[in-house]
Amino acid sequence: MPVKNIAASVESLQQSLESHQYICSKQIATAVYIANQLEKPVLIEGPPGVGKTELAKTTAEMLDLPLIRLQCYEGLDDAKAIYEWKYGKQLLYTQVLKQALEEVLSGAKGLAESVRRLHEFGDIFFSEEFLEPRPLLKALNAENGCVLLIDEVDKADHEFESLLLELLSDYQISIPEIGTVKAKTKPPMVFLTSNNTRELSDALKRRCLHLYIPFPDSALERRIVHARVPEIPPVLERQLVAFIQALRELDLKKLPAISETIDWARTLMLLHSEQLDPELIKDTLNVILKFQEDIENVELELSTLTQTAIREAERP
Amino acid sequence: MDQTLSKFIGALRNADIRVSTAETLDAFRAVELVGYEDRTLLKNTLSLVLPKTWDEKDTFSECFDRFFSFEEIGSSDSSSNSGESNPEHGHSQGNAQESEENSAGTQGEGNQSGGSGGQGSAEGQLEDHEHLPPGSLADASSALGQLLMRNDRSELTVQMAQAGEAAEVEKIVVFTQKGLFTRRIMENMGLGDLVHEIIDKGQSSQLPDRRLSRELKHRQEILREQVRDYVERQFLLHADHTGMRLREELLRKVKLSNVEHRNFRVIQEIVTRMAKRLITLHSRRKRVFKRGQLNVPRTLRHNMSYEGAIFDLQWKSTKVDRPRVFAICDVSGSVANYSRFMLMFLYSLEEVMSKVRSFAFSSDLGEVSETFSRYPLDEAISKTLHHYSTGSTDYGQAFKDFKKICMDDVNNRSTIIILGDARNNYGEAHAEILKELYDKSKRVIWLNPESRNTWNTGDAEMRKYSPYCHQVEECNSLMHLERVVGGLLYTV
Repeated sequence: MPVKNIAASVESLQQSLESHQYICSKQIATAVYIANQLEKPVLIEGPPGVGKTELAKTTAEMLDLPLIRLQCYEGLDDAKAIYEWKYGKQLLYTQVLKQALEEVLSGAKGLAESVRRLHEFGDIFFSEEFLEPRPLLKALNAENGCVLLIDEVDKADHEFESLLLELLSDYQISIPEIGTVKAKTKPPMVFLTSNNTRELSDALKRRCLHLYIPFPDSALERRIVHARVPEIPPVLERQLVAFIQALRELDLKKLPAISETIDWARTLMLLHSEQLDPELIKDTLNVILKFQEDIENVELELSTLTQTAIREAERP
Repeated sequence: MDQTLSKFIGALRNADIRVSTAETLDAFRAVELVGYEDRTLLKNTLSLVLPKTWDEKDTFSECFDRFFSFEEIGSSDSSSNSGESNPEHGHSQGNAQESEENSAGTQGEGNQSGGSGGQGSAEGQLEDHEHLPPGSLADASSALGQLLMRNDRSELTVQMAQAGEAAEVEKIVVFTQKGLFTRRIMENMGLGDLVHEIIDKGQSSQLPDRRLSRELKHRQEILREQVRDYVERQFLLHADHTGMRLREELLRKVKLSNVEHRNFRVIQEIVTRMAKRLITLHSRRKRVFKRGQLNVPRTLRHNMSYEGAIFDLQWKSTKVDRPRVFAICDVSGSVANYSRFMLMFLYSLEEVMSKVRSFAFSSDLGEVSETFSRYPLDEAISKTLHHYSTGSTDYGQAFKDFKKICMDDVNNRSTIIILGDARNNYGEAHAEILKELYDKSKRVIWLNPESRNTWNTGDAEMRKYSPYCHQVEECNSLMHLERVVGGLLYTV
């Protein structure tokens, strides 16, 4: 099972991610590179909206592979994540095949004989045809490999975490009725994301590389905004990023993330703004702040914040 | 280079980052891939493989910088070395002096305190103030002397590391050993010969010899500084945390009333960590108790394969019933410190014990849950202690107050923890209220910080109270506390 080599070096990987509009720090590129080389899953943690899921999507795009995504939630179990038997089909088939079964069993004397004959036909009703593959099994069966994204793994229960262990370490899944299903082509990349709502188990962490994506610094954020909203005037871009960076220094309920920065940039473009001013910010503040409490707090200091951001942006 | 990585991982473990064997192997593979040349790349790579939480990443970064800072410091020093540096090295000269004496026979165990003391005769001769005109130098004869005169940074660094390994510098435990290790490393590098040479050449009548002597002396000092730096770094890497762990181990066992104020912060950290462990332990276990409403659709679906005969029931998961704890704490002078830690512990467990109501008393009892939900832990505790710790202890009154405030809220799922020494100042015991609590609640636990022998001496009323407790424990250290609270979670 050859692994598709995605890049010769960290730098080239970073560039090719960039060509897909994902601007990232060296640390992130290194993570993807090492994960690919060592065939290890990557566990990505970080505040919401810093591009954890986006990284998986972009990697899939870059590799030109399908992205199989499993969204985790409380109560997620193996029937939803790995496989389920197609009970309806099983029932239907037994009904339809009643005739055939009778033929098979005709002439059999006693229960023991009938059961023995049935055994000869093996576990027809528990074969792959009656198996409904769910995301994890789909990922293993993907012909040309795929990028598997297990999103928000911290939302799932402890049991589900343990369920993942076999998949993550050996890229295989054991189904009691069939046996072990191994990956046809090893998925070149497995991403897990977590918002850190609870501590993940050590066993899971041990099997993964651990990448923490923090909020970007202003230089990186400017590049991201530039890549995603290329039509933005440079002055506005600098001011906007400076303002967001200043906001992150404040004590807010939810800090604005990159996705909010981009949304805001798009909003300002729609409004044909050339420059930041307190009035404009006040009107669009709800794009970047998601709690009324935060908005009220920021509004109080709006003019100073804007002043600082504008001054900051003028600096070379 | 593989050894370097193993050592680095050792240092990480020392800094409380848990690195498993599997992760070590991953690290080796990863390093094979990226190599050691690019420092940032190496750091990025290792930070993916080794530390697995945000906190650990911070520690990792610090450790990495410290561990691999070695060469950078060497090169930065080389510039100051080549120039004419000032002879103001009083302290390190003194040390040179000391180890000179030591190497001559008087081995003092790592004690460098006398280092800056009197100038020996040999030193006196070295410290000639005659002005030597610049000119050619004689060739050094000792190995270390030659090395110093060549002034090859990397070679010196390698030698220093080797000498450090020979001296087993990674076994350094306490800071007083720094002097010892510095000297050992210097000796391993060939200090003895060098010193002899310096003395011999210094007494020589030849001018180049004397110049050499002075130059060697000068470089020896610089080398000593570097070795000290090296030992210092090794100490920070290898010993800092061992010492810390030792202290924590002690603090867990020490009687809480004897804990000094400056250690409160450390204790709080320990408490948080203990609590965290209990939380993980408990949150895994809670699933076992999980039974709730029948999940009809899921049951039907699951039983379809049995032709609709329902025998594999599926349940809707429900929230676990968490313990309802009433903590009644005596905060009078004698027990205040225990109460402090008990409250600290209970509130650190918020995640698994959300329903803690706490009461404090010395004579009058009042509920302090509100204080704890409003203020940070530290502040809440000091507010509580400040507010309630006046007056002489009166358990009878406290029980009466408790009855008045919340007897109605106590039901067969409540756990009542009483922390106190039961010293009632010969007042009315009112054990019948405790009996009522005993009948109504699920459990009554009495934690007494005194040792068992003194429970019934003097004005202590343990004899009257203990029949109405499900559990009576001696509890005066963090270890005891952990056991009690852990048990509390287990039997819920």
